[in-house]
Amino acid sequence: MDDIKVNQNPKLGSIDRPNSYIGRSIPRQNAKKHLDGGGQFVDDLVLPRMVHVAFLRSPFAHAEIKSIDVKSAKQSDGVIDVFTAKEIDEVCKPWIGVLGHLGEMRSPEQSPLAKNIARWQGEPVAVVVANSRAQAEDALELIEVDWLEKDAQVDMETALDPNAVIIHPELGNNLFWTRTVNQGDVDKAFKEADAVVETTLDFARHTGVTLESRGIVADWNKAENKMTIYHNGQAPHMMQHIIAKHLDLNEGLVRIISRDVGGSFGIKVHVYPDEMAVTAISKKLGRPVKFIADRLESFTTDIHARCHKISGKLGVDKNGKILAMEIDDLSGIGPFSMYPRTSAIETNQVLNLSGAPYVIPNYKAVGTVVFQNKTPMCQYRAVGHPIAVAITEALIDKAAYKIEMDLDKIRKINFIPDNSYPNKSPSGVPLEDLSHQASMDKLLEIMDIKEIETKKKDDYEKGILSGYGVISMCEVTNPSPLFYGVGGAHISSQDGASIRLEGSGAIHLSSSITEQGQGTEAIMKQIAADQLGVKLESVRVTLGDTDATPYGGGTWASRGAGIGGEAVLKAARKLKDNILNIAAAIMQTDKDSLDIEDNNVIRKNGGEGISLQKLAETVYYRGHEIPKGTNPELLATASFLIEGIPFVFTNSAMGCQVSIDQDTGIIKINKFWAVEDCGTQINPKLVEEQIRGGVIQGIGGALFEECVYDDQGNMQNATMADYLVPMAYEMPDIIVDHVTTNSGRSIIGAKGAGEAGTGGAPAVIMNAINNALKQVGAEVISQPITPEKVLKALGKI
Amino acid sequence: MTANNTSNISFTVNGEKFNNVNVPSRQHLADYLRSQGFTGTHLGCEQGACGACTIEMDGKAVRSCLVLASQANGSDLKTVEGFDDQMMEQVKQSFLKHNAFQCGFCSPGMLMTTKEILLSKKKLTRDEIRSEISGNYCRCTGYQSIVDAIEECINEIN
Amino acid sequence: MKAADFSYHEATNIQDAINIKAKDEEAVILAGGQSLLPALNMRLSSPSCLIDISKISGLDDIKIDGDYLFIGALATHSHVMKNELVLKRMPCLIDILKMVAHPAIRNKGTHGGSIAYGDPAAELPALAVATNAEIIVSGQNGDRSIHAKDFYLGLFETAINQDEIVIGIKYPLLKQEQAILFEEVCRRHGDYAMAGLIANVNKIGNKVNDLSLVYFATGDKPDSADKTAKLYLENGYDYSNLKNSLNSEIDFAGDLNSSSEMKLHLATILIKKVLNKLEA
Repeated sequence: MDDIKVNQNPKLGSIDRPNSYIGRSIPRQNAKKHLDGGGQFVDDLVLPRMVHVAFLRSPFAHAEIKSIDVKSAKQSDGVIDVFTAKEIDEVCKPWIGVLGHLGEMRSPEQSPLAKNIARWQGEPVAVVVANSRAQAEDALELIEVDWLEKDAQVDMETALDPNAVIIHPELGNNLFWTRTVNQGDVDKAFKEADAVVETTLDFARHTGVTLESRGIVADWNKAENKMTIYHNGQAPHMMQHIIAKHLDLNEGLVRIISRDVGGSFGIKVHVYPDEMAVTAISKKLGRPVKFIADRLESFTTDIHARCHKISGKLGVDKNGKILAMEIDDLSGIGPFSMYPRTSAIETNQVLNLSGAPYVIPNYKAVGTVVFQNKTPMCQYRAVGHPIAVAITEALIDKAAYKIEMDLDKIRKINFIPDNSYPNKSPSGVPLEDLSHQASMDKLLEIMDIKEIETKKKDDYEKGILSGYGVISMCEVTNPSPLFYGVGGAHISSQDGASIRLEGSGAIHLSSSITEQGQGTEAIMKQIAADQLGVKLESVRVTLGDTDATPYGGGTWASRGAGIGGEAVLKAARKLKDNILNIAAAIMQTDKDSLDIEDNNVIRKNGGEGISLQKLAETVYYRGHEIPKGTNPELLATASFLIEGIPFVFTNSAMGCQVSIDQDTGIIKINKFWAVEDCGTQINPKLVEEQIRGGVIQGIGGALFEECVYDDQGNMQNATMADYLVPMAYEMPDIIVDHVTTNSGRSIIGAKGAGEAGTGGAPAVIMNAINNALKQVGAEVISQPITPEKVLKALGKI
Repeated sequence: MTANNTSNISFTVNGEKFNNVNVPSRQHLADYLRSQGFTGTHLGCEQGACGACTIEMDGKAVRSCLVLASQANGSDLKTVEGFDDQMMEQVKQSFLKHNAFQCGFCSPGMLMTTKEILLSKKKLTRDEIRSEISGNYCRCTGYQSIVDAIEECINEIN
Repeated sequence: MKAADFSYHEATNIQDAINIKAKDEEAVILAGGQSLLPALNMRLSSPSCLIDISKISGLDDIKIDGDYLFIGALATHSHVMKNELVLKRMPCLIDILKMVAHPAIRNKGTHGGSIAYGDPAAELPALAVATNAEIIVSGQNGDRSIHAKDFYLGLFETAINQDEIVIGIKYPLLKQEQAILFEEVCRRHGDYAMAGLIANVNKIGNKVNDLSLVYFATGDKPDSADKTAKLYLENGYDYSNLKNSLNSEIDFAGDLNSSSEMKLHLATILIKKVLNKLEA
């Protein structure tokens, strides 16, 4: 066992005791199966009489479906049936992706298959059911569609123009949602400012590229009226509700099973039309139906993210104190708002989070979200953060350059002080338990900016452009009901844990939190064993099954440890209490004189105890030996939710150092540092790996990833060879460190850690590049920052 | 549409003999192996770009999505399920220790690539390790922990 | 993403393969399959029949053939990279192959396959042109040798006839005063380049005496830049002059990762980068 010790949370007890697992980097033994080829992913599942589907997808971004002829396709080898919207709609009701608590959102009804009009390249139009996927694909080639291609509204910047193509005529224009935040008086403050800086940044669309693509097996059992869904999703209970609602099923008879999931990053938490069609087909045919998206389908139908253009303005006085900040953000979300979370949240986060680490007395933010004929856009890892952090930190660097102040100093004098919480962000969002000052101090300690500055000067002499950046940010984690539930979405903000002592003495834990590789199963186990006083290996965990776990939200928005972990902690404490009560009765002693260590109830003052196995045997098999009136429950259940505030924020400070090849425009990230304050770390190694993986995804967005579209709305690079994900060679090692401020909202004190890396890396990389380019008067403002954009900025091409 | 073409072939998987089996001519090896229950071989892109389906064919790492099952006639194949020798067990322990995987979807291919690195007996630097694994996509880890694990294996095994 | 149906034929010898190919216009040769299989899986190509030549023995020889280094069509990239003769007589090939995709692809991808496929972004066709290699093909009328510069006609279009199969490549052995220099610029390691250059240099000491430049990933086939090479020999490295010359000589075609303007710039820069290697 690796003995990394972190600042211990006094509410959790001493770390120097037996079975102290919280705060230790214990390898995930439960994950060894993946190294033995024993994972159970959706595509690994084979059921009797299972059939496969392939979707005919719109080849056009915007086209009228004048007619579809499926006769020849139905005759094709191995084909069971072919369906179009008409047949699927008989089984599945449409949905609308709006929420009620964020002002008016306007999105039309969406059905599994496009009716009459297809609105993005990749939208499902018809579906072939066959004995194999290959045979289903053969038949797709025989479906004849009479398409009438229409003009497409591809560019979000012209989506509200008078001559724009109106994607949903019933809405009158292409506006989905808009919001304005106005705190103080920015206009007055800008007039009073000694220096005002402005910039406009572009963020291309990118997407999640989970290595395991989306997949579902739907199995309708007519005899039991039961729908079993094997799904690689993040939120089983949400899916249970939605499938029951739209297929008109008894919700209790819909079972969602999510076994191993090959990465999700937010991509797999949404309701996808093709997956709804699969459940409808299973209902129609009464047999299991499998759909595994191929990579082309992933690129054109998994939700995309980002796609923002944001202008910002920052005013400071001559001492560097920020007086006002103003932003105006435009985002394009494709033709529909996704269901049920909506596609407004990324923009909403941009408005909430811009400027969040700093005292900014006057703040104005406008967000506009428009429809366009591209793949739907929605929440992906670090929703909105990259945009909010990049605009804030770019403006701060610009202000620092203008008033000739050090990059770290301007931040330090503007931070919301660590000792001032609870506080509010410039946008008015409540903030608690943050440590921007301490985190920046720690960052500067591990970075050594003086050395970096020296190297920068030396490099410049040698003709190399190098530069660095430092940034601070807030990360949204552990959302409360005020995130989605308040708006009418059936998405649980509460999570539950159920824990039992079994007859064998083993501990079984189930939780509504799901596992997609983060290590949730491992940390749940650590919490349970730690709090109960049992060996880690005696705990086994069940996740991802609506029939076998407590009700709850699942894993998204960095909520697993903070919410799900607290539920486990509470349940474990309850079970321990029950066990000690029973033991006290059996041992004829006072409960407070007992404790549990290494799977034994012990007497604190010494003397003979009783093993949990023996205790369980007594309770289950020889209950007559327990004193009458003793509560025999060896099962405890608890739930937890965040109350009173919208989110528990984490904060992070990051730095990086880059160099630029002036001939080729290629950027090399030489060093990257991240300091994270996520409160209690249940398994520090897993936290660090969340941060590293997150940073690399952020680097992907900053330097490589882009869904490239032509003017007609055709995605040009929908293959893994053409869409550039980060690969090992170009990626840096990342130095991770911590500051620990426990969340006061829970006993466990954990905040989320999954998204800061992705949220902060694009900002710090862009700032470092611009720090380097500034030496020759150049600047980049558009992500991904490609070699070509760098060369253009340098005036080389 | 006419009935699918098939090929009749023989080969071994992890030492188990498959004699005179009929495989659809168009089926790639990854799909065939998966259809026989060797589901540790994963498909990420079916175009050779992600590396998840990398297996050992006659002692060499290959992308099993870029080999037809028919082409395996006479071959000895080894999938992740067969990586059970002492060296690979040590590699797995190193992967566990460094958390060199999260969701596990890339791991079978990453282990095969690691195996080939170790069998080459080369003392690679971190940069060279990164180069060798640059054809294996991992969305979760950011690669550093994988490089750590492989570096440790090179030092301890070679 | 599953291939359309086709028949599969494991050729026992080259004549067997030639006979099938001659009869069936839609039949396609399968060697390493590392470019073909992606196209099949994505149904960008649906041949009637695959003629698998990979089991034919004797087609992967690497040997000295007179004044040439002969590389058999079926020699895999990994095999070539480990070959002693290649290391001794044409070490640049090893450096070049290190840039071709990734190890598992190189274990299966073949030398002849890359030459015959003629991807304009691939390294080997450009190398063949730059070194004045001979491409040996075998057909119903026997074997013939095609000069590499006559082999590549246009985008994935080669001088190979329907009944012919590439059986090997003959690279002229390098003379003492000769160097093959190579450089490419990629977004990511192992990707197709944004632009790449192979220079065949005749030198006295470090002084360039004669020079030919062949680019890849710039247009629809390996692009020779003879006028630009001459200009360099006359005037040395002058960015603007060379850039103008390249612009007039090569029809740069932009792609997803680099515009034609970018490719022109990189092509110019590559001359400097490649020739700097002479000094190194």
